[in-house]
Amino acid sequence: MKIVTTMKKMKYFLLMMVVAATTLVSCESLVDGLNDNPNKLTPEDVGAELFLTGAQLANIVTQNGHLNRIAGMYSGQLVGYTSLYSNIYGYNLSTVESNSTWRAIYVGVVPQVREIRRKAPDDKLLVGIAKVLEAHAIGTAASLFGNIPYSEVADPEIPDPKFDDQIEVFNSLLDLLDEAIVDLNDGVSRNLSEDIYYGGDKDKWIQAAYTLKARYYLQLKQYDQAYQAARDGIGSDDASMKFYPRGDETTSGDKNLFYTVLAGSRGGDIGNHGSYLMSMICPDTSWSRNNAKTNENARYWYYEIHEEGGPVNKGIIGMFEPMPMVTFAENQLILAECAARTVNFATALGHLNDLRAWLNSGAFLNDAFADSSYLYEAYNAADFASGGIENPDGVDPLQALLREIIEERYVSGFGTYMPFNDVRRLRKSDSDLIVPFPLNPGGTDQPQRLPYAFTEINANSNISEDPGLYEVTPVNR
Amino acid sequence: MKEKCLCGAIRRVGAFFLRRIGVLLLGGLLLAGSGPGLYAQALRVITGHVMDANGDPLPGASVILKGTTTGTVTDAKGAFKLSIPDTGHDTLVVSFVGYESVTVPVGLDNVYDVRLPLANRRLNEVIVTSLGFKVKKDESATTSSTVSSEEIVHSGEPLVLNALGARASNVYVARTNGDPGAGTNIRIRGANTITGSGAPLVILDGVPISNSTIYGGGNGGRDGGVSQQTRINDINPEDIESVEILKGAAAAALWGSRAANGVLVITTKNGKAGRLHINYQMTYSMDQVNQRYPIQNTYGQGRNGVYNPKSAESWGDYIPDRAGGEDDVDMTGRYFEAYGSGKKYYPILTKNSKETYVDSNWDDVFRTGGFLQHELSLSGGSQKTQYFFSFGRLDQNGIIRESYYDRTNARINVKFVPNSWFSSNTKAGYISSSSNRIQQSSNVAGVMLGLLRTPPDFDNHDYFGIYYDDNGVAYRNHHRGYRRYLGDGVPTYNNPMWTIHQQKSTSDVDRFLMMQEINIKPISQLRITLRGGVDRFGDHRIYFFPINSAGRDRRNGLLNEDMITEQELNFDAIVRGNFSLTDNLKVDATVGWNINDRQRQYNSGSVQGFTVDSRKPTTDLNSSAEATSFSNYYRDIRSNRGYYSFTFNILDQLFVTASGGLEAASSINGAFFYPAFDAAWQFSDLGLTSDFFSFGKLRASWGKVGVQPLPYRFQTLVDAGFTYSTYSDPLSVNQFGGGFRLDNNLGNPDLKPEMKTEWEIGADLRFFQDALSLSATYYSNRIDDLLINVGLTPSSGYETIYANAASMKNHGFEMEADYAVVDHHALKVNLTGIFAANRNEVTDLSGVESISLAPGSVDSRAMVGYPLGVLVGTGSLRDENGNFILDDHGFPQLTPTPVVLGDPNPRWTGSLGADATWKGFAFRILFAHSHGGAYSPRTLWVLRRFGTVEETAHRVTLDQDLYNFRGDLVPAGTTVRGNIEDFGGGPVLLDESWYRTGIGGGFGDNQAYNFAIYKATWTRLREITLSYTLDSKNFRARTRLSALTFSVSGRNLFLWDNIPGVDPEINQSGVNNGFGLDYFTNPSTRSILFSFTLSY
Repeated sequence: MKIVTTMKKMKYFLLMMVVAATTLVSCESLVDGLNDNPNKLTPEDVGAELFLTGAQLANIVTQNGHLNRIAGMYSGQLVGYTSLYSNIYGYNLSTVESNSTWRAIYVGVVPQVREIRRKAPDDKLLVGIAKVLEAHAIGTAASLFGNIPYSEVADPEIPDPKFDDQIEVFNSLLDLLDEAIVDLNDGVSRNLSEDIYYGGDKDKWIQAAYTLKARYYLQLKQYDQAYQAARDGIGSDDASMKFYPRGDETTSGDKNLFYTVLAGSRGGDIGNHGSYLMSMICPDTSWSRNNAKTNENARYWYYEIHEEGGPVNKGIIGMFEPMPMVTFAENQLILAECAARTVNFATALGHLNDLRAWLNSGAFLNDAFADSSYLYEAYNAADFASGGIENPDGVDPLQALLREIIEERYVSGFGTYMPFNDVRRLRKSDSDLIVPFPLNPGGTDQPQRLPYAFTEINANSNISEDPGLYEVTPVNR
Repeated sequence: MKEKCLCGAIRRVGAFFLRRIGVLLLGGLLLAGSGPGLYAQALRVITGHVMDANGDPLPGASVILKGTTTGTVTDAKGAFKLSIPDTGHDTLVVSFVGYESVTVPVGLDNVYDVRLPLANRRLNEVIVTSLGFKVKKDESATTSSTVSSEEIVHSGEPLVLNALGARASNVYVARTNGDPGAGTNIRIRGANTITGSGAPLVILDGVPISNSTIYGGGNGGRDGGVSQQTRINDINPEDIESVEILKGAAAAALWGSRAANGVLVITTKNGKAGRLHINYQMTYSMDQVNQRYPIQNTYGQGRNGVYNPKSAESWGDYIPDRAGGEDDVDMTGRYFEAYGSGKKYYPILTKNSKETYVDSNWDDVFRTGGFLQHELSLSGGSQKTQYFFSFGRLDQNGIIRESYYDRTNARINVKFVPNSWFSSNTKAGYISSSSNRIQQSSNVAGVMLGLLRTPPDFDNHDYFGIYYDDNGVAYRNHHRGYRRYLGDGVPTYNNPMWTIHQQKSTSDVDRFLMMQEINIKPISQLRITLRGGVDRFGDHRIYFFPINSAGRDRRNGLLNEDMITEQELNFDAIVRGNFSLTDNLKVDATVGWNINDRQRQYNSGSVQGFTVDSRKPTTDLNSSAEATSFSNYYRDIRSNRGYYSFTFNILDQLFVTASGGLEAASSINGAFFYPAFDAAWQFSDLGLTSDFFSFGKLRASWGKVGVQPLPYRFQTLVDAGFTYSTYSDPLSVNQFGGGFRLDNNLGNPDLKPEMKTEWEIGADLRFFQDALSLSATYYSNRIDDLLINVGLTPSSGYETIYANAASMKNHGFEMEADYAVVDHHALKVNLTGIFAANRNEVTDLSGVESISLAPGSVDSRAMVGYPLGVLVGTGSLRDENGNFILDDHGFPQLTPTPVVLGDPNPRWTGSLGADATWKGFAFRILFAHSHGGAYSPRTLWVLRRFGTVEETAHRVTLDQDLYNFRGDLVPAGTTVRGNIEDFGGGPVLLDESWYRTGIGGGFGDNQAYNFAIYKATWTRLREITLSYTLDSKNFRARTRLSALTFSVSGRNLFLWDNIPGVDPEINQSGVNNGFGLDYFTNPSTRSILFSFTLSY
């Protein structure tokens, strides 16, 4: 009897054990799929072209942001007066300063333009633009940092991309630009408001792609290929790739970047008063480049930065002043330099004079400086002959012409990486051509590169430390 | 397969159920569960009454024939009637909750009147488990603290969470400030998560309910805006029967991934069978600021000892040196004409007046606040239906003028027991509250910021009026503050009067809570509980800043509106059974299944820049499309869980429980198992009891609990509205027509819950016939897989990933003691004491240097090797011996980078309480103490720079030449404003160059914040109450009332601490894991309450 009772009780107990066991087969199906975010769109929801503006903005801060200003300070163009910029001006540059630009390149540009290509492989205009943007941003990275991650980037399957040789990176980019040119040629221009550079004009993109090719060939010192590429490059100023600020005076986040820096709490920190560049185009200095055919007066006032910031800046860092990225001037000067190196004196001089003719049209100025005087008369061979206005020291005329072309690159290139790239490119075999800007106070050597980002060094197992500012990058060895 | 098994089980359960019904019908009895002997032997019927010691009937008492299941319960008059087999030597066991059980031998009599003495205080104490069931405390192995209804009510706190303060060990409760309805931080056994919410899970009547503190879009973050409410505080404290605080992992494990912060199990009152009881209570409270920053009134507005009515600071002239009389003013041009007083303010040419306004400015902001609360409840019922109805109304005015919090509560709890195998329990509550909250903290519209920075010689009163410019053009509704004393433009920050009277931050909450439970008892050993719950609220918030409010976004007018709704649905199916496997082995088994769904939605809209200067919060203030914006957010988190718990009772002495739950949740990849084991051993049963030692229990437990990841983190999605900036040069995609990017935060489809593993050991001991009880517990836990944002290699295309990457540990000790010192007829004196200590350490952050929990110049952070929440900021350089490395003049020098300044976690906390009753009088007192830890009142620090705080206003005549911070040598004999200090290199002069322009007061990272750290140790008189109850027979007979109680009590009346002017319990970042900071946060309160209670 007792045993039976116990058995009976056990039955219920065992039943509960069974129920326990079955309930423990918990139902994931009841909660599946609920974790899809209803507040954010998926990549599939969003059209390919909607990724373009963000990528272009990231590229703008890459080309015209913090590192550009630092490169300017390391090539006699800008001066850091106080706070962080005075430290950097004295060559105290931490890897942290590269974080934001590195992020813009590797997070802001590359994954985004690849997403465009993934989503719209048949939209040749978009695909071409995407490739040019990638080549532009990565090319800037390669020229600034040297060896960089490229072949394995933007792939979530590869947590730590390896660092590729700088020369290989440039070669890959040249291939990518060739592809881009093919794509763009196959594509059709259309009104593309997301393209804040060129508004969907494929011809301008093709020209920009050729100028970038020329830029990279130039950095690889393959001057004949550079010349060939530049012949199809940006042929007029309206095809120059620039950042055009927007909005009205009350909006923010859409203005000239340099203006924005000085307008905020950084006023007084950085400017160009006292820089070598400004003294070159100031008529009062002994090393002024003004001569009988050249008057830089208007350009001086246009270039002048009022470091205290604010609306007093009406020139090159005015609130709405466009910022140069890939320009007609750069292309002309590549043509001129490469022609001088690989074609002949006359052709080179012709290219230089084309640029001077454009300068003499005053088109580089904005309306605020329309009344200032300037002169860029065409040079002739005599000007470069020994004792000519561009050859007082009697060097070889071709050398004198090259020197003038490099100097023009130094002046016209204000606001781009061109002057910083040139001083490093010409270091080994053409040091006599370098614009002789002095080192900043406290400096012992010319920086040869900018540091990798701290965030990358910290996280990427393929690198343990930055090689430093003075390590010569492979293309310039 | 699974469904099949379940169906099989349900079918079988159903079969028992049907068979039972058959038996019942056949027997023609409504009473089930009768023993088998019922039909076998000759029966006799006995009757009787069960009463308390006073002879009052006890309805619902149980009368059972010992050793059988034969029994009954008493009716409303305490009467019972029971048929028993006529053996002649049986015993009745009569018991009732709260009373000692009595055994009565059944003799020849057929009538038995039994009087039950009140329970020897602890024998029958029960605790409520995380599933809402009552178990005997003495048989439980887990640590919990019970806060009773009386304790909650006597605390006088209108918000239930605040009533828990100092009532339970290792339960840190602190309201974020003294605003009416302000949110409350509650942390059990230290920090258990870094980025998740530290709030415990709240179970109301067996059902989880929302306890969120939502800041929302319109508030502008946690460190500014207004104090927001913590939703559990919606519950009316008067409705609460008990609060069980389950601290350990084992007790909470059945709630899986929501239980790592502990569980608050709240049970609301039920009616009891018997006559109608009516209870009415009215409480009136008077509230005042409990701490006030000391503000100087000897130096005027200005700098460098010179008066300047436009200066931000009060480093101006020495007021007693002024000429006195009216100021010389320029009456030829512009002026301000105040509304109300009509007083005109002209440009000051010479400041002559010696008048100061420190107190009047204060009184313009603060008042004696208070509340009036009415509580009405009706309860009673029959054997079959018991009801509890309550209605409560709270009208509270905050200590800051214009602030208020009004709340209406209604509740209906009905229990329906038609027969012995079925019962239904319905509990429903409705809450409606509305409040106006005052802007505070780091916020140019904050009231304290404007008030405390006001120079002593500036009168804030005329803040609103008309500004006339030099041409006599009138500008209406202008805002006058000390930084624009002519009201010509918007002051840099608000005049506090403007904050109070012109701005509005209202919140209107409607909340409905319901629980429906059905209990079925198919056979005597099994009980099936089906329990569903609904919790839904809407919170409608308006933030209104009229034109001319301070702040860039607000000066042209700003209206933000948030509509927040939350809904939590919950269902449990639970089967419980108790089985005696052998005489010495019994099993209590619980098996259950739960599904829970939580939804939250907010819609936020704003209108910025009004075209009309009105005080109506309507979108018509600017109807243009550009002025208006709208955003929405929705989330849904669902989980389901199967769980079990088996408690083995061995020899009524050893209780071993194995429990666990397997849970799947929508924000977690996969299902996770949360096991727990515990054991309680009543070793006193070994025959160790004596007059001295009455009870002893050892307990040990081990368990795992978790914290859910944030929802929606599996996928990599696209981001809109982003900005790129390399160095102070932002470009925003929204300014370029908008656009998208792949999120820089990589989706993580492998998210796991944060997992806390905890073990604890403890003992519960009682002495002197249970007069003294002691409970002590040591616990140790490890929390792994804590969720943080980890940096990725940027060249991979992604910068961060939300991942299970951090770990932390806690260990601690807690003790609670309760001693009935005197229990002698009319006089009873009881002492209680609690002590607790917790040590926390962040052990791993996967290479992330630190995580900011409450950002600011002094920042509360997570850092490896330190307790969570350490205060970090720039400090002073020290050598290896801890001495300052001084500059040439003997002043400390700044550290180049932020350093750890202090740990805000207390070393230990404790409380001591006493209550005494004598005849109708009752007296209670409760002291709370928090020992050690650091607190940073940055208000005080910044006020040094502003020169308004008293310590900057000392006058000292130097007896030797001293350097000041600027390096000037101030000659002996000079009388200066400042203090003399010795940092280790001889005395130096701390003057304006130290406090205002140096490193001894101010903003940003260039400050010696080590001097802004104070010891947080405090002691407070949390509660003191004296009451008198009239319930004599005479009184009852005359009034037909059962009792009338008057009471007066004080709450927070005294506070002893080390920080001038601030209660270290307030927290700038509100309800948050970061703490130990104050920055112009609204102050806390102390109160005196009067109440009277009428019981019928």
